[in-house]
Amino acid sequence: MSLDYVKFSNGFEKFMPKEYRDMVEHGPFGKKVTVSQMGSFKEVLEEHPMCAGCAMTLFIRLAMIAFPNPEDTITVGTAGCGRLAISQAAIPFVYGNYGDQNGVASGLSRGLRLRFGDKPKDVVVMAGDGGTADIGFQQVLHSWFRKERFTTIMLDNEVYGNTGGQESGMTNRGAVLKMAPLGKKFEKMDMLQMAKVAGCAYVATVVPNNPRRVESVIKKAVLIAREVGSTYIQAYTSCNIEYAIPTDKVMEDAKTVENDRYQFTEYVSEEAKQYLTERYGYKEFLAKPAAPAAAIPGKA
Amino acid sequence: MYLVADISVEICAAKSCKLCTQYCPEANTIQYSDEMGKEQGFKYGSAYVAVDRCKGCAQCVWVCDNMAKNNAIKMIMIDQLPKAALTDNITYGEKSTTAVLASPVVG
Repeated sequence: MSLDYVKFSNGFEKFMPKEYRDMVEHGPFGKKVTVSQMGSFKEVLEEHPMCAGCAMTLFIRLAMIAFPNPEDTITVGTAGCGRLAISQAAIPFVYGNYGDQNGVASGLSRGLRLRFGDKPKDVVVMAGDGGTADIGFQQVLHSWFRKERFTTIMLDNEVYGNTGGQESGMTNRGAVLKMAPLGKKFEKMDMLQMAKVAGCAYVATVVPNNPRRVESVIKKAVLIAREVGSTYIQAYTSCNIEYAIPTDKVMEDAKTVENDRYQFTEYVSEEAKQYLTERYGYKEFLAKPAAPAAAIPGKA
Repeated sequence: MYLVADISVEICAAKSCKLCTQYCPEANTIQYSDEMGKEQGFKYGSAYVAVDRCKGCAQCVWVCDNMAKNNAIKMIMIDQLPKAALTDNITYGEKSTTAVLASPVVG
């Protein structure tokens, strides 16, 4: 977990595959890269077996670029589609049992603080809606109530896509799926409200049809989690297989859903605003200067 | 045979919006080269596809047609591409990449 692990061992350089050599020489480690530079540097994410045109893959790709210090980051995941890509990256990945990813991340985050002290080591949980809101719900909520300092990202595809299309807590009411032929009878879980009640310092919803916004949201969430408390991002990452979205219409669907039920929302606690402003120079939370008093008609 | 994305350098280099590089779900598949357009006399560089990594989803086609309004990307059968970029032939520079084009099927 440092720049030392992203280099060649003496004498082995000529035996390493091209992808590895590109990663060492032109990867994002130790540099600042942004989404606008995509296509010009070697990304930490490699080839993976996720479906063609998957919006979740795009989100994961953007997330990996947005990590403030990829060389000092560990990702934690659980069963679900996302882990197929998250594990194929030059970032250490811990695979928990189904649903215990926030428990694993709690221990990991505390252990790293004991070992490395104030040196930032970021832990980022990326799990699906089933892993976060259904099977891992108890551990997710408890980690938030304990104010564990790591980021939780829900890859919300609104279905159990990996096992044939069962409804999840995050599926919309009335949705008919292959393994839920009668349609879901309950409302979509309001995880955003629960995150706020549980005391998360940063809560945001995002859709990957705006790469710069994804980048900004993830950077803020990871930075706040270093010192202030738990952070939560809920990302709409459609399953084009289970919802039968043609692959070339995935971004059109993302735009429609963003306008319908996934508008960008961002909650930042006062403590987190102060932390971002003072520690990392964010200007968006500074108090705006008071508007000049409106002129009174008829008076000079 | 299967479809892969093909970017027209003539159209892309005229605008060079780079949107497709940000919306492709696959990493290091749509790359950007500063030289690719300039060597043909255009002001900007062009995006290009590493066809061995392309899964043929055509998301870039939608982005180029509807968001950028460039219509520079088409899906083409891989054996009908005259020459294309392959991962092995791509070199990274400081701020850009360069690619030596080769037959996508033979290499």
